[in-house]
Amino acid sequence: MTTSSSRNPLELVDRYLQAVRFWLPKTRRQEDLLAELGEDLRSQIEDKETELGHALGKDEISEILKRCGAPMVVASRLGPRRHLIGPTLYPIYEFVLKMVLLWILVPVFIFIVGPATLASTNGDWGNTVLVTLGNLWSGAFVAAGVVTLVFAILERTHAIADIACKWDPSSLPPLEKRERKTSMFQTICELGFNVFGLVWLLLLPQHPFLILGPAAAVLKFGPIWHIFYVPTVLLAAAVILRSAIILGRPRWTSFPLWSQLVQALLTLILVHYMIEAAGHTVQGNWHPFVMVADSVRSSEQYARFSKIVAIVNVAGLITLVCTWIGVCIGGAVHTWELLKYIRKQRSVSERPASLQAQ
Amino acid sequence: MPNGSQATTEVFENLKLELRRGCLALAVLTQLRTERYGYTLRKALADDGLEIDEGTLYPLLRRLESQGLLVSQWREEDKRNKRFYRLSPVGEQILEQLLGEWQRINTSLSKILQEA
Repeated sequence: MTTSSSRNPLELVDRYLQAVRFWLPKTRRQEDLLAELGEDLRSQIEDKETELGHALGKDEISEILKRCGAPMVVASRLGPRRHLIGPTLYPIYEFVLKMVLLWILVPVFIFIVGPATLASTNGDWGNTVLVTLGNLWSGAFVAAGVVTLVFAILERTHAIADIACKWDPSSLPPLEKRERKTSMFQTICELGFNVFGLVWLLLLPQHPFLILGPAAAVLKFGPIWHIFYVPTVLLAAAVILRSAIILGRPRWTSFPLWSQLVQALLTLILVHYMIEAAGHTVQGNWHPFVMVADSVRSSEQYARFSKIVAIVNVAGLITLVCTWIGVCIGGAVHTWELLKYIRKQRSVSERPASLQAQ
Repeated sequence: MPNGSQATTEVFENLKLELRRGCLALAVLTQLRTERYGYTLRKALADDGLEIDEGTLYPLLRRLESQGLLVSQWREEDKRNKRFYRLSPVGEQILEQLLGEWQRINTSLSKILQEA
């Protein structure tokens, strides 16, 4: 078969330029660059022809074009340097992307979406894992897309460059006291577990099996539950707020210590009143934490369930007392740490400035 | 994963590229004290031992022109349209400064190499 380029080998150059044009951005500069590249190639051909003393054939022209490079590669060199996110923004983009995907999205799916899915599927673990992973996968794509889009807009609008030009050295954060800084990993883990705990607490009224397990069919929550549920939820929310503040304000070096102490005190007060309330009997029956469900009251196994209820209530009371003792010990440790920190801060502030700098 | 020699070659190529980048602009500006079009400029540089491909030269010429160091003009020569470049008055000033800087760097480097 005879092609047009075998009849006119120079047509290869036009085909080559056409292929380069395809990959170049469509601007006025495009035609200018192509004309110049075409002229360069024709000059090379002309020089070669002078050197060899005959018109170049298709193969010889192909050789020149090959040396010049594949159209896409040549276009990438000729065209403007293009990037979605430039080298200035890229480190920030990478940091934000990691934060969003690893430290926000994954914990949210593990501690909130997962348990919520588990509750909605009535404890079907296999289905829950599959659904959660599927949602996490698509969520990660959407989150990564949104972050990339935001940074691409920032890149186009030069927003960060403007901010970077206006930076003031005096606005730099003060030196961190490394020994007191709570590790980010520890704080994130705490936050994750606390969120998980709160979600679990919020799901309990509708899904008692989350604490009672299969016994949820024959047991129900006792009076203490109804009295202390809201304060417990509020305390759990306060604990989450504390973790979030530690994460968001890592330079507040004293906050983790004194807030831990306040948290311990609040827990102590709550547990104290719970133990006190657990000592009361209702109509001669002692079932502060769990009771036999109304549906099985008339059943033949009522006596057996009552025994289980008694055991669970005693176990609940023991757990509360142990918690109270544990929180007391924890509170003493936190008080000691806070006092130590205050002493150290005082000695640092009394030290001459020249020694502090060392 | 690249092996040791591949990695060394890659590092060398990257450093060579960095070294060449600044030198190319200086060489192009110097060559364009005389008016030339793209191909003859490439040839002149190659004849002096500084090979430069089309994909590097033409964007460089555009950049230098947009910085006001070069002026260009499309003109017909030998029945073909060619874009001729030459140094602008600003380009001449900058080139003198750059050459001075180049001499200083060269002297310092020679001194450092002698001491080593």
